[in-house]
Amino acid sequence: MEIRMANLTKIFTSKKDKKEVHAVDHVDLTIPSGKLIGLLGPSGCGKSTTLYLIAGLLKQNEGQIFFEDDEVSEMPPEKRGIGLVFQNYALYPHMTVRDNILFPLQNLKVEKEEAKRRTIEMAELVGLQEMLDRKPKELSGGQQQRVAIARALVKKPRVLLLDEPLSNLDARLRLQTREEIKRIQRETGITTVFVTHDQEEAMSISDEIVVMKDGVIQQMGLPQEVYDHPLNLFVAKFLGNPQINVFEGDIKGGKVLIEDMHIESAKLPDQQILIGVRPEGFLVDNTLKSDFKFAVNLVETIGRDTTLIIDMPSEEGGLLDKKSFKVIVDASHRIQTGDLVHFTVKPEKMHLFDLDGGLLK
Amino acid sequence: MSDIYVKNEKSYRAKKITFNVLTYLFLIAIAIAILIPFYWMLLTSMKSDELMRRIPPLLWLNPKEWQLSNYYRLFELVASGPRRGEPLFPFFTYMRNTVVISIITTAGTMITTVLSAFAFARLNFKGRDILFAILIGTMMIPGEIFILTNFLTINRMGWYDIMNQSYMDVIFAMTLPFMTSVFYIFYLRQTFKQIPNELYYAAKVDGTSNFQYLLKIMIPIALPTIITITILNSMGAWNAYIWPAMITTKDEFRLVSNGLRGAFTDTGTGRTDYGQQMASATLVTLPLLILFFTFRKQIMRGVSRSGIKG
Amino acid sequence: METKNNLKAWFYLAPMLILMAVFTFYPLINAFIISFYKDYLPLANNGTGSISGYTLHNYVVIFKNQLFWKAILNTFVLAFVSVPVSIIVSLFISVSLKAIPKLKGFFQTVFFLPYVTNAIAVGMAFAVLFHKDYGLFNVVLGLFKITPIDWIGGTASWWAQMSALMVFTIWSSLAFKILVFTSGLENIDKQYYDAARIDSASKWTIFKRITVPLLSPLILYISITSLIGALKAYNSVIGLFGEKLGGQPYSMITIVAFVYKYRADFAFQGFYSYAASAAIILFFITLIFSVLQTMVSRSRVHY
Repeated sequence: MEIRMANLTKIFTSKKDKKEVHAVDHVDLTIPSGKLIGLLGPSGCGKSTTLYLIAGLLKQNEGQIFFEDDEVSEMPPEKRGIGLVFQNYALYPHMTVRDNILFPLQNLKVEKEEAKRRTIEMAELVGLQEMLDRKPKELSGGQQQRVAIARALVKKPRVLLLDEPLSNLDARLRLQTREEIKRIQRETGITTVFVTHDQEEAMSISDEIVVMKDGVIQQMGLPQEVYDHPLNLFVAKFLGNPQINVFEGDIKGGKVLIEDMHIESAKLPDQQILIGVRPEGFLVDNTLKSDFKFAVNLVETIGRDTTLIIDMPSEEGGLLDKKSFKVIVDASHRIQTGDLVHFTVKPEKMHLFDLDGGLLK
Repeated sequence: MSDIYVKNEKSYRAKKITFNVLTYLFLIAIAIAILIPFYWMLLTSMKSDELMRRIPPLLWLNPKEWQLSNYYRLFELVASGPRRGEPLFPFFTYMRNTVVISIITTAGTMITTVLSAFAFARLNFKGRDILFAILIGTMMIPGEIFILTNFLTINRMGWYDIMNQSYMDVIFAMTLPFMTSVFYIFYLRQTFKQIPNELYYAAKVDGTSNFQYLLKIMIPIALPTIITITILNSMGAWNAYIWPAMITTKDEFRLVSNGLRGAFTDTGTGRTDYGQQMASATLVTLPLLILFFTFRKQIMRGVSRSGIKG
Repeated sequence: METKNNLKAWFYLAPMLILMAVFTFYPLINAFIISFYKDYLPLANNGTGSISGYTLHNYVVIFKNQLFWKAILNTFVLAFVSVPVSIIVSLFISVSLKAIPKLKGFFQTVFFLPYVTNAIAVGMAFAVLFHKDYGLFNVVLGLFKITPIDWIGGTASWWAQMSALMVFTIWSSLAFKILVFTSGLENIDKQYYDAARIDSASKWTIFKRITVPLLSPLILYISITSLIGALKAYNSVIGLFGEKLGGQPYSMITIVAFVYKYRADFAFQGFYSYAASAAIILFFITLIFSVLQTMVSRSRVHY
């Protein structure tokens, strides 16, 4: 079930100073059918708002929403056929797990025997068949969430939406649960959209990710694609842990220079630019011919990788809003603090942006 | 499964509008039902004797026909009989009495409430919880039980002397039994408990005594609650009926409620003068309504919070 | 720092405790004692009263008294009809208010008016409303070609009188309940409603299976307090019927009115004890109901 949003806009006006906030700003987005899509972005970027617009809990100011060929823009949520897992699960506290899952089926007037059967089927899908007669408050956070998922799926929705499904779980549970979500999506094949601010989460399980900022879609694509080929500085900085290093530099005479150190060539007119290089995008130059050389300030070796932390020598210029940059190299280079190391940059790992953050080709 | 995905957009809007219209109609109907007694009270009070006696009664008067004669007559002085020289409906006397009693009771209640709530909320002493539980228990007991003995007590103190009751006697009798309220103590204690302990410890370290702490810190912080209690308590005197009726011997001591009921019920001819009755009822209702509209938000917030017991 | 408080605390409590001792604790015990006095004359002997002995007979007299059973009937009917009806109506009103955020404030103010009015004054207004000749109710009945009913006058039937009293009682009791329920509704997390909409629940289903269960602790609490309050009905009867307590004397007497009647006759030997016994009986009735409802609440209140 493909979800298509055309020119979707949602404006919030603050009561106090009448300022308008475009939480979702003329968004065109198509969610492919049967896939697990991660909607990713910092707080306030509009991702949850988008989710609620798809659900129908918020009404858009402009634009349309389609499920395949049905326009659902004017439909109330109860008619859209979606399942939604709330961030706080919103399980009905006075009902048992079984009744929580049965609830949507009863509202849809599903026949009693069939409803019972489907409830048990769902409980088994999420692994909670033992807990059917418990009340939500007797369950752990992770279990409550699985009930929420079961309740959302039991009515065989066209679309499954999850609002920050992992934020309320502790670290250990998070890893476990995100695999569960992936598994369930695979087994049911339902078009699924989940919202998160954690890029690692989104990257690990999504079939495709959509990065949003200030109500506008920055980029959409396969996680690795977006990681390797960010379309702007924001996306480049948002993905990747540790964060990409951003240098202030210039292009002069076809050469890319940082602090007048030549690192690469580029067929671009002379200008000031920003250069993004991920920590793993550097190579140690054993020939010592490279211009790009620094004394290493801090060395951290963990098993296979060594992280080098290097301060930019000058006060001005050098790095965009940071004092040092990180390089990750293979631990076999026995580098020590204070060593002067020469680096080259893997050309495919170098991302050039203009001063506004736009990609330079 | 696709049967739930109805495509008819128009029906959603229609349904929603129907629902809203019905809801408004329902609420308007209830509002009318609530307002009718007030309307009828006012309407009747403005009908002249002759208009009053129409059967079936007039449902409405246009402004030309409004008569304030009922109101004027309330303040006329009685020509003969035991109440010679007094107004027909001593509204101001009753009001004065009610206000005086209200002020004194409220002041007394405030003092006992603040001191007690402080003790229960802030101080640690042996038997605190048991005593508090006992007090809560007394809230369940019907007031009628206390009245029986209180009447005797008042009598023994010499404040209920059929021959010779003085105004001071009446004041003592009307106020002392009502200078405490477990309910308000409970309510204020809740508010006091929300003031963080750290404030208390800091004040102690600064050498503040308990009483100063109460006066200078707790009361200001809890002021909204205290004001609410004050307003609610002063409204209570308005509705007092049985106790004032029991212990007052003269009409001039009466409070507004029992003064009202006693008036106009049986004139010499055995007919009730409803016009005047309603005029006096309106007069009695007015002050509290004015108070309400002035302090509307306070009153409603206070009542709702006190209604949802912790 | 804490132990010193012992003495100081009692100073703070002193005013309240003294007053309560005189006007609450002592009367409570005394009421029990009085109910066992024989031939009690409370104001004899310069106010200390005189008795001729002790007896259980007072209670017997009460239980044999027809007026007492009439009071029980009136009070119970009034309480057990007005409380559920007013709770249901105020619940619907509160839910309706929630659905229309725009004019909510205006309606809330109107609905609260009965609370800030004098019960006697409004009672008297209702008396005019229910008047056989001058009242609005009979005008409306006339529109339906029904002959005018005497609601509260000398020829009024018990049914008519009780209906009038019921209407007045329910009218007065809505204000507080609406306020409390409205506040309670606001405390229900909006997410449950969102989830229910996603679960395709109709408005009625949401009301029945989400709103009411989540509100049930509050509903129960209000039931108890309202019921106990309704069992103590007195001012409303005085307001509507006057000191006569009914179209025919005492036809609408309530338990509390019964207590006061015998108290007022304190000059008759032993009558004060009857009043005390009746008051004690009332106390036990309200006690039973509070305990009953507390027990029910343990089992039925949802979560």
